[in-house]
Amino acid sequence: MNTTFWLIRRELWENRAILTMPAVIGLLLVLVALFGQIQLDAGDLAQIHEAVTGHGSYLAERLFLAISVVFLLIMGVYSSWYLLDCLSAERRDRSVLFWKSLPISDTATVLSKLGTALLVIPLVYFGFAVLTNLLLALILSIRLRVLQGVGLWSAGNWFDFELVWLYIIATLALWFLPVAAWVMLVSAWARRAVLLWTTLPLLAVMLLEHYFVRSDWFMREVWLRIGYGYLVAAFAIDNETVFSPSTTLRHALSPLAFVSEPETLIGIGVGVALLVATVQVRLRRTEL
Amino acid sequence: MTTLIEARDLSKRYGSHVALDHANFTVEAGRIVGLIGPNGAGKTTALRAILGLSNYTGHLRVLGRDPLHERTLLMQDACFIADVAVLPAWLRVDQAIDFVAGVHPKFRRERAAQLLAKTQVKHSHRMRELSKGMKTQVHLALTMAIDARLFVLDEPTLGLDLLARRTFYDALVNDYMDETRTILITTHQVEEVENLLTDVLFIHQGRIVLDASIDAIAQRYAAVAVTADRLDVARGARPFYERQTLGKRILYFEGADLRVLAEFGEVMTPSVADLFVAKLTEAPV
Repeated sequence: MNTTFWLIRRELWENRAILTMPAVIGLLLVLVALFGQIQLDAGDLAQIHEAVTGHGSYLAERLFLAISVVFLLIMGVYSSWYLLDCLSAERRDRSVLFWKSLPISDTATVLSKLGTALLVIPLVYFGFAVLTNLLLALILSIRLRVLQGVGLWSAGNWFDFELVWLYIIATLALWFLPVAAWVMLVSAWARRAVLLWTTLPLLAVMLLEHYFVRSDWFMREVWLRIGYGYLVAAFAIDNETVFSPSTTLRHALSPLAFVSEPETLIGIGVGVALLVATVQVRLRRTEL
Repeated sequence: MTTLIEARDLSKRYGSHVALDHANFTVEAGRIVGLIGPNGAGKTTALRAILGLSNYTGHLRVLGRDPLHERTLLMQDACFIADVAVLPAWLRVDQAIDFVAGVHPKFRRERAAQLLAKTQVKHSHRMRELSKGMKTQVHLALTMAIDARLFVLDEPTLGLDLLARRTFYDALVNDYMDETRTILITTHQVEEVENLLTDVLFIHQGRIVLDASIDAIAQRYAAVAVTADRLDVARGARPFYERQTLGKRILYFEGADLRVLAEFGEVMTPSVADLFVAKLTEAPV
């Protein structure tokens, strides 16, 4: 437990961008909110009016949704980069020889890096997103002269959003476990060009399957895993669902369906197998 | 005596290259053992195996453990400095101390601080701001503050200037070594560690060619500065190596009778460095 704490701290020391990047994004958004030009047309005024009178949550949701998407997208890019680098950087700068001189198992190290990517980074981004949203709601409320800001956001949908975020963090971690584990395996194994090694073997399998087995099962699985598959698995939405101001994301959460989804369970199984392999590789591969 | 390291038929290949070829050796408690060999002799490979950093074939026990699969437990009682400058550039000195204190049950924080106080290093320094010599001092302070039974050093002074090297070894001998410690050190700069060692292991082309204590070496080996008129007789006594310095012929003998050797010329105990060269360039007689 103690070791885990220090390993996570170590990751935060090494990757200060985990904290600084979302802080900068938040700051930029706040600056835009403070000094950006606000142009309102009649429709917007009507919405604000509706918000103030207490019925609509559209504006607040749209605001938080936009902020969340910004944070989530940047988080996705950053986490991918982090995973690609996490077990090869220590071999590149040879610091692995220092880390391995301490009584820390390879399993603990691998899990701490996985936990950083799938839980710590998302929680940090979540914290900054919440903070940014609060500040933005406050600033915009004042700038729009909507008194006290009560109309822009209500406690009810405020907590809804936090719930959605936490749900997204939990489900993303489970859904992307095999992807993260695969990237870590390559990161622990490859001498160089980690990004190429994560993608080329997959492409090779796709091509081999396409030409020799004459099917595209693997390609579909991969696209599903890194593409829209997550949304389908974690949210009760289908092609019929139309996003409208009245459907809130909160009502689209489907935790039970998600955890009983075969895709989820198979993914977790594959992820665990890849993690076991990653630990074995780190155990034996110290040098580049 | 307790045996800390026991290697039997230790082998390791990289593709077609044999890095370790059925090496046999033991390291006893309380000794300072030099694993000495030319570049590419298999020193580092042997250390990597001992420290659980790579796999191998053959039998190997370090502090009674299988190093590869029990590295975590092993590292509670053993510590190592594998190469200079492996502390990551982003790490701050105080972070390094905090981290090791956090994960190592046998790390004594005040000891590390004490050792660092003797240097120019500040706790707020990042590794990237330190010179190679200072980085080594930090690493040494971190490692010496661990109450370990076995301390392994792999070419610890590579790339350091003379002053830094001297400081390094002084710290090691004066602040660290006592009868409860065992040090295994690899180097190809023999002169530097010569006066430090109690035992030597010569390694050449993956094989241990000499495993002896310094005391035993003095008894077993002799170098004789042979006078010109005695050269032929001396050569007949089967020296295993011969070299010429400043007009003198030095012949090296193993297990020869000192009284006989005295007749050829002045008898000396060969230095480890000389013996190393003699053993490794040993011409077939």
